[in-house]
Amino acid sequence: MTSDTSKLDQSSSPGDVGKASARKLSDSKKLTGFAAIKDNLQFVRGRGGFEIGIVLLVLVIGYVTAGIFIPNSFPFLDSNNLSGVISQAVPVLAILGIGVGILMVSNEFDLSLGASLTCDAIVFIQVDQHAGLFLASIAAIATGAFIALVNGAIVVYTRIPSFIATLGMSFFWNGASIWINGTQAAELDQKHQTGAIEWVYVHNFGVFRSQFLWMILVVVLAWFFLHRHRLGNHVYAVGGNVAAAEAISINPKKVKLLSFGIYGSLVGLAAIMIAVQTSSMQPGGSATADYTLFAIAAAVVGGTSLQGGRGSVFGMLFGATLIELIQNGLILGRAPYFYITVFVGLTIVVAAIFNKLMEGKAR
Amino acid sequence: MKTPLLRLDNMSKKYGPNTVLSDVSFEIGKSEVVGLLGDNGAGKSTLVKIMSGVVPATSGNFYWEDEKIENLNREATEKFGIETIFQDSALVPQMSITRNIFMGREIRNKLGFMKMREMAQVATDVLDSVVTIEGIKSPKQLVQSLSGGQAQAVAIARAVHFKRRLLILDEPTSALAVRATEALLDYLRQLKTEGVSSVLVTHNLHHAFKVCDRHIVMNHGRKILDVAREDTSVEELTAAVVSGAEGVRLYRESVGK
Repeated sequence: MTSDTSKLDQSSSPGDVGKASARKLSDSKKLTGFAAIKDNLQFVRGRGGFEIGIVLLVLVIGYVTAGIFIPNSFPFLDSNNLSGVISQAVPVLAILGIGVGILMVSNEFDLSLGASLTCDAIVFIQVDQHAGLFLASIAAIATGAFIALVNGAIVVYTRIPSFIATLGMSFFWNGASIWINGTQAAELDQKHQTGAIEWVYVHNFGVFRSQFLWMILVVVLAWFFLHRHRLGNHVYAVGGNVAAAEAISINPKKVKLLSFGIYGSLVGLAAIMIAVQTSSMQPGGSATADYTLFAIAAAVVGGTSLQGGRGSVFGMLFGATLIELIQNGLILGRAPYFYITVFVGLTIVVAAIFNKLMEGKAR
Repeated sequence: MKTPLLRLDNMSKKYGPNTVLSDVSFEIGKSEVVGLLGDNGAGKSTLVKIMSGVVPATSGNFYWEDEKIENLNREATEKFGIETIFQDSALVPQMSITRNIFMGREIRNKLGFMKMREMAQVATDVLDSVVTIEGIKSPKQLVQSLSGGQAQAVAIARAVHFKRRLLILDEPTSALAVRATEALLDYLRQLKTEGVSSVLVTHNLHHAFKVCDRHIVMNHGRKILDVAREDTSVEELTAAVVSGAEGVRLYRESVGK
């Protein structure tokens, strides 16, 4: 490894304009061990997921300790809690949080998320009755993508702020779900509640469920897209500074529509999980309304900037996990229900303030 | 005369009722450094945006190597090899230096995934070879953590790395330190020997006079002077920038030209 620095020097010498006195970037020593980790952390922090990861780690250590020493009054490690609550709730919110987060990095919002969940779930249940699980899954994800792309097209081509446009569209899609299904709840057929559908989406493997595997898949794919693919780079560019992206011939409309499409597909996937888990869906949107703001909260708690251009997939995952764990901890600790909303609300505001401070520090 | 690289013919631009450019025509030759001068509001930035295809002109023609170009846009100018550094909107502050340099032109494999190591290596080389940048620790650093001059240098380094035929620099020296400015001006001279033309947009006449072969002075959206370096002086250019065409006439009278 000692030859590294000399190799760098050689590669930078051709084309040099002859400023021998200046200190060069490639002259700087290769860092190793702890110094290298510290160096890298400095850059990771700029992306907004690091601090929340530490908070989450502390919380998990606390929960696990409590779960080991006082299992009766705080049954966190009970397999019923791990597989029944944690691995059903966390993946759904994490998948939604990642979808919303990608959209937020491109500097857009979608307030019709809850309405879309209802529509997608109803489409899934109805198609499943007639055409089977595979087509139903595709139909639900396609519906999610379609709804998001319609919203996205309105926002991108009319330049109405996405806040207003998608607020309006959320009423539209809520109404559409009643139009598709009538006012009765869509029920997943008894014989459709077991077998393949159960294995694929909600099977209990003891301490975790199928949803957990889906979440890992989404995290991996989203990470490679957002942090390693050139299109992900364009999402950051468009969200961070539209003018700069345009000047370098990135088309912001295409990039924003792509973000809407990815977000919508993830909403469709989450809708399937909710539908299979609850085996029915009430049209009108009231059943899924909470998810909209929880998903935005997950992204914000995870360090995603409300102004676009900043956020990380792991941050979004950590944000969703943190929100669900705080709720879970309060329930396990037998806190009254209003405590839960109070604490979740505080977490979101504190996280937002914290991220704001960190954004200032990163400058 | 040789075919010019780029020719503008009667370019005009109106924003609503406001005319910001009226009937501007000029040429930029191959391997030529042209200074585009003028006071604030003279129409320099609009001209730059039209030349780089970001903003369409209201009327007028654009010729690239004597070929008339319809539908001028950024894709077309990128294909020609025109690279622009915009004064205000060059970089994304939340992104790293490497990602900014390769924004939209990532080094990637067939599936479109970026080759991070290679990009970081090239970014390091580019930053080292183009302009001397003091105080940048790593190409991973976010642009928002850089000073104005450092960010400017990164934007210049990017444009120079991707330049092929014509480099347009909009007020590149405004945030640069003295030494970095000297290095940049040196670099423009060197590019010329490599066959790359540049347009230096500035209101610092001394910088322009040092490197430019020809000077075009704009005033209230019109071209008032288009003169080779041999035939002018800093004083004449100053008169043109400050007092317009009338200033040039008075100056020429006073020196008896």
